[in-house]
Amino acid sequence: MFRTLLIANRGEIALRIARTADRLGIRTVMVHSEADTGAPWLDAADRTVCVGPSKASASYLDLDAILQAAEQSDCQAVHPGYGFLSENPVFAAACIQQGLAFVGPGPGAMLVTGNKIRAKRAMAEAGVPVIPGSDGAVHDADEAAALADRIGYPVLLKAAAGGGGKGMRACAEPTALRAAFVEAANEADKAFGDPALYLERLIVGGRHVEFQVLCDAFGGAIHLGERECSVQRNHQKLVEESPSPALSPEERSRFGERVARAMAAIGYCNAGTVEFLRAPDGEMYFMEVNARLQVEHPVTEVRTGVDLVEMQLRIAALEPLPLSQANVRFEGHGIELRINAEDPDDGFRPDPGEITAFRAPPPEAGTARVRWDSAVRAGYRVPPYYDSLIGKLIVHAADREGAIAGAVAALDRTDLQGIKTTIPLHRKVLAHERFRSGQYDVGFLHAAGLAG
Amino acid sequence: MEPIGRPRERVLDNAAWAVRRAHAAGLNARIHGLRAEVRAGWGPEYHARVRDKGKLPTWDRLERLRDPGSDVFPIGTLVNHGRDFGGRSSPGAGLVTAFVRVHGLWTVVIANDNTVASGAWWPRSPEKIQRAQEVALALRLPVVYLVDCSGLYLPEQSATFPGRTGAGAIFRMNALLSANGVPQIAGVHGDCIAGGGYMPIISDVVYMTEQAYMVIAGAALIKGAKSQHLTSLDIGGPDVHVHLSRCADHRVPDDEVLLRAIRAEVAKLPGSAAAFYRYGADPAPPRLDPLELDGLFPEDYRVAYDVREVLARLVDHSLFWEVLPGRGAEMVCGVGRVGGLYAGFVANNPELTEHPVERGAKRPGGILYREGIAKISQFSRACNDDGIPLIWLQDISGFDIGVEAEKQGLLGYGSGLIYTNSTNEVPMITVLLRKASGAGYYAMAGHPYRPVLQLATPMARLAVMEGRTLAIAAYRTKLDDEFRIASSDEGEAEAVRRGMAEVEARISGDMDPVRAASQMDVDEIVTPGEIRSWIEAAVEMAYQSTGYRRVKNPRIWSLHDLRILSV
Repeated sequence: MFRTLLIANRGEIALRIARTADRLGIRTVMVHSEADTGAPWLDAADRTVCVGPSKASASYLDLDAILQAAEQSDCQAVHPGYGFLSENPVFAAACIQQGLAFVGPGPGAMLVTGNKIRAKRAMAEAGVPVIPGSDGAVHDADEAAALADRIGYPVLLKAAAGGGGKGMRACAEPTALRAAFVEAANEADKAFGDPALYLERLIVGGRHVEFQVLCDAFGGAIHLGERECSVQRNHQKLVEESPSPALSPEERSRFGERVARAMAAIGYCNAGTVEFLRAPDGEMYFMEVNARLQVEHPVTEVRTGVDLVEMQLRIAALEPLPLSQANVRFEGHGIELRINAEDPDDGFRPDPGEITAFRAPPPEAGTARVRWDSAVRAGYRVPPYYDSLIGKLIVHAADREGAIAGAVAALDRTDLQGIKTTIPLHRKVLAHERFRSGQYDVGFLHAAGLAG
Repeated sequence: MEPIGRPRERVLDNAAWAVRRAHAAGLNARIHGLRAEVRAGWGPEYHARVRDKGKLPTWDRLERLRDPGSDVFPIGTLVNHGRDFGGRSSPGAGLVTAFVRVHGLWTVVIANDNTVASGAWWPRSPEKIQRAQEVALALRLPVVYLVDCSGLYLPEQSATFPGRTGAGAIFRMNALLSANGVPQIAGVHGDCIAGGGYMPIISDVVYMTEQAYMVIAGAALIKGAKSQHLTSLDIGGPDVHVHLSRCADHRVPDDEVLLRAIRAEVAKLPGSAAAFYRYGADPAPPRLDPLELDGLFPEDYRVAYDVREVLARLVDHSLFWEVLPGRGAEMVCGVGRVGGLYAGFVANNPELTEHPVERGAKRPGGILYREGIAKISQFSRACNDDGIPLIWLQDISGFDIGVEAEKQGLLGYGSGLIYTNSTNEVPMITVLLRKASGAGYYAMAGHPYRPVLQLATPMARLAVMEGRTLAIAAYRTKLDDEFRIASSDEGEAEAVRRGMAEVEARISGDMDPVRAASQMDVDEIVTPGEIRSWIEAAVEMAYQSTGYRRVKNPRIWSLHDLRILSV
């Protein structure tokens, strides 16, 4: 195992990674920006290196500065966490070139998973169902219309290079499609420098179900079940749970194994997540691969007892998977609530600033065990430069009712003052009948009037 | 090709068969016993010590490396047998060198035996490694090094360090292999100190386990290491060499994974060309059971046998094309398939054969006469032209001697044969069936003529001449024309008798093939029943790689020209 690990991230995930590293006897080096100097999570590192000014592009995204930090502190490996450089194939390649193990998939696999069209094609070849649509980009409105006639309306136009809703249009019929095509192409060109669009059937009322997969360097691949992430606003997940209320155990194991095999087939190595849209009729359609550790990974950890960061490090050190599919046990129900420094009553406007008073959730609430993944404390000032996530509350109980009750109880005993957070929203979600029934889809927050 | 050989029942009656089998079984049992002794290393205590460190004993590593179900062919097993270094033995010179099949490719594996002095290098360890490298270079076989070596066994350094074949010559071979495009893959399992460090690093791919380290000098020799709490792992472990110095490519958790990784590396190499060079034939066993060779040879080395019965039990379907059968009947040469691949055979026929000039007269076989020499010299050169690997089956007492022989110029014919064999480029494999005496041993591609492999049976007798003959030569001034003691003085006669007996006994001891194997005069002792599988493997190795030697298709063989001219 590596002796020294560079953690190229900040906040709760930097702390999360350091915890596992400590347990495995690995020294940690954390990089940070000037804005994060003296931040609470840095206490967990054996050494810290300031890599640049506050703006992420000049610090956490500065490839050269981070590689330099790794070299001067004799690191053997880099864990990128999520966000920032985690899915940057150039960074991964540069690490490898410098002799650093990159704790994540190789740049080759990232080039596939990072491009929607290539990823869809590769997964279809590996036997995973994909949303019917264009094979690659559609070149003009005529081609789009002809294809839409074949696969059926409504359809969705998406920017090949993009994400975050830019260059995306839903079209219910041919006239709308023709008008939308030009708009969307222009928008995509402006946003991503690439006007290429692709077209696929629009699934209305689907659920976001994703599978956690682990692949080692020797072709070994297992899945750790799914996470249901349909509580979203603008494609931003707020609440995740596992198991999905919509999936049967039989479906989980059959589909999970298929997904794991497909990931191995495309040469993926390390932890990864495959996102699916589950249509109301129960069909699963591939959306994308997240080639990194996900924010919501603890939901899987509490259910399976597997430390995903440990698995990532072991795989990066060329260890074969220490457990087989048969050894993976799923227990109880896990829910994660993302606590963001945002005002849910004001369009989720980021609300950085000082946390004036803070009491962490208790380790147990009702019948649930509570995990609090966060690096905040009273007096900590949330900087305005980065993602607004400040903590994750994870509960694990024998069943879904117990987990929901535990989450409510844990929130009741949590105190966080000075900034606006998503805690009040979570109370409303947990109390909502639709959520409690388990019968909800990606439109839930919007329909419930909670999407801001 | 024509069928050769007869069923065992027609070659030997049951009584003779039983006697010969029992004799061979005794000889073979000794060899099996010696192999087991070497394989045990320094014994269970040292095996346990290796396992306690979380490592695998060397033979277990080979088990995991080889293709499931495939045979491993070790060479140099008995090197250093019977030698003593300050009360210590060094089984196999602390090394396992073997041909191992990995993903269908023959590889040469060179592995320190970590159950013998933590894999230290003994006297002859460098030579044993170089011999394996030599074979790899000759046949362009990928080399796998499994390094777990604490360095030179220092008390014996004068025998392993400075000489022409000292440890440094190993690294020169590493470089030559690389320069000739032979893939080298190294797995570092543990210690790799001083010179040992160069061996993996010249390799194309280097894997290190978490317990492995490579250092120019270990912590013991670093000043201040104690006060800095440095271990050798700190100085040259995977943290340093995989990530900082880049002297190694990959780190792996343990032996098991390392061996899987090496298998995966071998799988990336181009496959074997052997199937291509079979020209559509399937490998097939001989029709007559090769195991019957353990019982075909007479228990008395002076008794003759028909070598065609041996050949019949070595070639596929027991089919053989004998070349120039009408000339030099004391030699048998021709072509057969071994494992579907063409191989040339040259064998002594020990039986009495027709005298070429004196009608009706017979003369003993196992001797090189003029016609026989000319025949095998032409055959050898033709096989070299055609790229047919040559297998020499020796049971040779030497060149013919006497006035007639000198008048015919046997010195010249013999030198011609030696010239041919010395300049052959085709891979040659030499098997000492029984006698390997005098210049005959040289002329028939004995070890000094660089066969890629020299094997010997437990019956082999390797010496310049038999003990009795040598005693006569040494005391010839005391003997008359009939080799009787000439002296009439009883005391002197007794002294001569005693002296001759002593010489004879000593020479016979020297002829023990185990002695030859211990000093690396043969690569391996194999039982007669094992010869077929050894040559099958060796011939396949000779056809594995392309692009480095000539292989002519059988339509255009020079051998056909030879046959036409001889009819």
